[in-house]
Amino acid sequence: MSAGLPRKKDTIEIVRRGLKKRHAAARRFKFTGVAAVGMSLFFLSLLFVSIFSKGYSAFRQTYVHLDVSIDPEILGVGAHPDMNALANGDYGGLRKAALRTMFPEVKKRREKRALYQLVSSGADYQLRDAVMADPALIGTTLSLWVPADDDVDMLIKGHIRRELPEDDRRLKDYQIAWIDRLVAAGRIENRFNTILFTAGDSRDPEQAGILGALVGSLFTMLVTLSLSFPIGIAAAIYLEEFAPRNRWSDFIEVNINNLAAVPSIVFGLLGLVIFLTYFDLPRSAPLVGGLVLTLMTLPTIIIASRAALASVPPSIREAALGIGASPMQTLLFHVLPLALPGVLTGTIIGMARALGETAPLLMIGMVAFIVDIPTGIFDPSTVLPVQIYLWADSPERGFVERTSAAIMVLLIFLIVMNALAVILRKSFERRW
Amino acid sequence: MMSLDSLLPETGSIDNKTDHKTVAPSFKTVGEFKLKDPRISCQNIVVRYGEKLAINGLSLDIGRNEVLAMIGPSGCGKSTFLRCINRMNDTIEGCRVTGKIMMDGQDINSPEIDTVPLRAQVGMVFQKPNPFPKSIRENVAFGPKIHGFVETKAELEEIVENSLKRAGLWKEVKDRLDQPGTSLSGGQQQRLCIARTIAVNPEVILMDEPCSALDPIATAIIEELIYELKKDYTICIVTHSMQQASRVSQRTAYFHLGELIEVGDTKQIFMNPKNRLTEDYITGRFG
Amino acid sequence: MYTLELIAGLLLLCAIAYHLGRRRAFSVAQGNIRHLHSLPAYYGLYVAMWCGLPALFVLFLWTVFESNVITQLVLADLPQKLRSLEADRLELVISDIQNFVSGNTVSGEVDASIKAAGLHYQRLQFTSHAALAVVILSLVIGVGFFSLSRINAKQRARNAVERALTGGLIACASIAFLTTIGILMSVLFESMRFFKVVPVTDFLFGLKWSPQMSIRADQVGSSGAFGAAPLFVGTILISLIAMLVAVPIGLKSAIFLSEYASPRFRAITKPLLEILAGIPTVVYGFFAALTVAPFIRNQGSLLGLEVASESALAAGLVMGVMIIPFVSSLSDDVIRAVPQALRDGAFGLGATKAETIKRVVIPAALPGIVGGVLLAISRAIGETMIVVMAAGLSANLSFNPLDAVTTVTVQIVTLLTGDQEFDSPKTLAAFALGLVLFIFTLALNVIALYVVRKYREQYE
Repeated sequence: MSAGLPRKKDTIEIVRRGLKKRHAAARRFKFTGVAAVGMSLFFLSLLFVSIFSKGYSAFRQTYVHLDVSIDPEILGVGAHPDMNALANGDYGGLRKAALRTMFPEVKKRREKRALYQLVSSGADYQLRDAVMADPALIGTTLSLWVPADDDVDMLIKGHIRRELPEDDRRLKDYQIAWIDRLVAAGRIENRFNTILFTAGDSRDPEQAGILGALVGSLFTMLVTLSLSFPIGIAAAIYLEEFAPRNRWSDFIEVNINNLAAVPSIVFGLLGLVIFLTYFDLPRSAPLVGGLVLTLMTLPTIIIASRAALASVPPSIREAALGIGASPMQTLLFHVLPLALPGVLTGTIIGMARALGETAPLLMIGMVAFIVDIPTGIFDPSTVLPVQIYLWADSPERGFVERTSAAIMVLLIFLIVMNALAVILRKSFERRW
Repeated sequence: MMSLDSLLPETGSIDNKTDHKTVAPSFKTVGEFKLKDPRISCQNIVVRYGEKLAINGLSLDIGRNEVLAMIGPSGCGKSTFLRCINRMNDTIEGCRVTGKIMMDGQDINSPEIDTVPLRAQVGMVFQKPNPFPKSIRENVAFGPKIHGFVETKAELEEIVENSLKRAGLWKEVKDRLDQPGTSLSGGQQQRLCIARTIAVNPEVILMDEPCSALDPIATAIIEELIYELKKDYTICIVTHSMQQASRVSQRTAYFHLGELIEVGDTKQIFMNPKNRLTEDYITGRFG
Repeated sequence: MYTLELIAGLLLLCAIAYHLGRRRAFSVAQGNIRHLHSLPAYYGLYVAMWCGLPALFVLFLWTVFESNVITQLVLADLPQKLRSLEADRLELVISDIQNFVSGNTVSGEVDASIKAAGLHYQRLQFTSHAALAVVILSLVIGVGFFSLSRINAKQRARNAVERALTGGLIACASIAFLTTIGILMSVLFESMRFFKVVPVTDFLFGLKWSPQMSIRADQVGSSGAFGAAPLFVGTILISLIAMLVAVPIGLKSAIFLSEYASPRFRAITKPLLEILAGIPTVVYGFFAALTVAPFIRNQGSLLGLEVASESALAAGLVMGVMIIPFVSSLSDDVIRAVPQALRDGAFGLGATKAETIKRVVIPAALPGIVGGVLLAISRAIGETMIVVMAAGLSANLSFNPLDAVTTVTVQIVTLLTGDQEFDSPKTLAAFALGLVLFIFTLALNVIALYVVRKYREQYE
């Protein structure tokens, strides 16, 4: 037996002696892997649970039933007012009067002001719209449900705790007493929150909605898609099919891979300098947002499209070229259709990333407080993720749940898009 | 440690059809597939990859300190059979092996058997040289280290040197033990893999077409090495080359479509095959 | 928008040109298209191309220079009093005029001279638009008929169209390159201006960051300090915490998923992890600021520790969670690229699965894993929303994870959002930070991509 090695009989003995320890170590090692996967999944569920538990209540909103007597005197209009006068009437006065009638015992100025605060000032617009739609209402009493103030909403939803000392909560004891009376009278109701989906931004949580941001996102995505899709495919086609393999195409390739990893905020700086300062395009506009996001998503789309083109087997190309098609015809009529599912998948994934992107849009001023719902790609607007960022910064409790609700809406969009990509990939997956 | 002789089952009466539920083999193996005092005795092995039957009720004994060559056309199951002997098929998903493989009185195919000591006892050299992406020294030291053979660095150095010497590689690499194993030529890499296997001090070495990726000169060196190693080890070698089988082995087994067609003395198999299929293969009518 | 209308009109003309070109090709062929070199559609495209491309080019140049030319013309006609203003005041006047033109409310009362200038501007704009329309129309018609007249059976219309298409493809492919140049230019020039005010060494190694520069010289605290070291330290601290979370968990997950998990478990778990990667960073920021940071603060105070409400730990932890799937999917790819032969080699020597992975698979995959980790670091450094929302603004030079620190990206956002004059050192500082960020992440990416590429080649 050669020196240095144990005798064969002993070898097995030595191996067997160490086995217990080694198998234990192997089990520990495997366990750390299980733990790591478990932790990742735990974080995922923690995130979802935390967002959902904060946000689900935002889909309902507390409404107060008011009987508003539409007194032309309080409104400050004559007997036969024109539309202009009606539009500028004092609807806040009507609301306040209606509240006073309900609680006639409230006399002190401070308390009156506290009383008026129970109902959202958004009620004024509701009244105005109703009266302007039907001026005959003047002089009658209108009975309608109006949104309650966010503090009332929070109390009804249990986010303001009654057992706290009076000074620590946003509602005084007497306000809570009024609210309880309203509840007892059946004048407070929790309904589906349509405002959230039909309004633009607002300083008041109960009047704030995500429609403006959604429309802004839609316009931005339209710009991004209509630019990045054709450009991305074209670039991928050139690089994969036509470009000579030389230093230049190598350089472009490295460049594209690099761009895919450049921090998104840097693209924002580019947008600020090139598009806003140099080309003088409008600030806060979906056009500029779309341009910046186009540059950001292009690498993703190009890389995915190249992979899709490369996966089309050479036999298809050879067959087409063999019957006399030009390289361009081969590409457009034979290769591209086969590569299209892959290209689309990459595009959807790129768009999903763009939809969730925030940082570069902050740089080009899409972070402004914008109430109006944008009507085109030149209007100042914001997008859903930026809206989330803005709301997350607001101290009111009402905005916390709205932020979470907006996140849920955003996540639903993203999940749908990603699911679409997965389905597309699965259903067109081809083994050559 | 088991005593070898007392616990061995009777090896004389193996009936292909009784032990396990299998598809009945269409051939009765020609030749002495049973030995008197085998090192390893395989009885009625059936291997399935998913639904596909790779080996169909095969019995074959492997003797002590012999070189057993396994030949046959591609896909005949010879590599699969080889991998049963040290349970390497465990690593392939969907691969199921039934049958008995007796070694030292134990059925090493039973699920209770720990593959770690088994593989230390039955080493393996693969078709393509697969040195680890580590230094030459680390490659050889890998086995002794994980199994805890050594306590001092000097001991380890000694094992490394001895193993490399036995694999005939020492002279070529002794000055560059710290260079990566992948920097060696193909033939050297394969000898490094053999050294790596020897370093664990196995009793049986399985070789799965060890020369198929090598040039003729490297092949000749390895064949010589196998001849040398025969003194201390039992060697099973799968090969595509009949010349190789005839050069290195004492016994040869011919596989065909998952079945053992003929086994016997190498000279006899090549000079005077008893089965038509064996003859056709050896005379180059197919393969 | 006027330009859009023009483009729409142009497209319509191109469509007509296509139709005419095709018809002409048919008539040239006398009904038998076999006489033609190319299919008739190519002749249509050929004519349409000649109509569209030169006109688009003119349109582009015109739009780029129009506003500048008109502004210069208006400025030349301004009263002497306004013209002699300093450059930055003059810019205000110009923006007033432009605001007047676009109908936005102007800051302050509309001055008569500004009103006059505004009307002048509008007149010029109208003239320019009309002229543009005439130029484009005549160009389209002229070139269109010329190319139409040149159509004959031998003409290689398809080749011409394909050449143009290839040109278009090349242009699209070079956008990636132009983007890089654009990024470099935009941060570089502004940074140079910044470094004229603040020396580079002060910026890179200065220990005090307080960019609040007063507008008037006599205000308190008028000298802003632009030492970015605290930002770099903050960035490194938060990235380090993130990597401490992401690398072990991500790597271990990848090992488990690629080496141990059954195909079914893998098929379910991988997409779940990818969801984690697909969640927008603003959501993580919200989670960090509203859930994790208060939690850490409360736990800290239970232990008697002083934890800042915007601690580096909270931001780093959440950033780490965000990066887990990034690390795990990159590591998963490289681990799966390790050839099975190496695993077989180790198993064949009697190694346990854990030994095989630890001593063979991971060392073999190490270059790829390192590349992935470098990319992840670059991601962490460039990550913006989580830190903007969950890390503070206070530029503390601290390595304590329980302190509030600020990062490069946070400062870029802070300096550039809100009302800023474009030229103040404060805004320029953001570009200098952007330059540092870009160079640093670029270097990391180049190295990482190189390492990963080499690794892949090794096992191809």
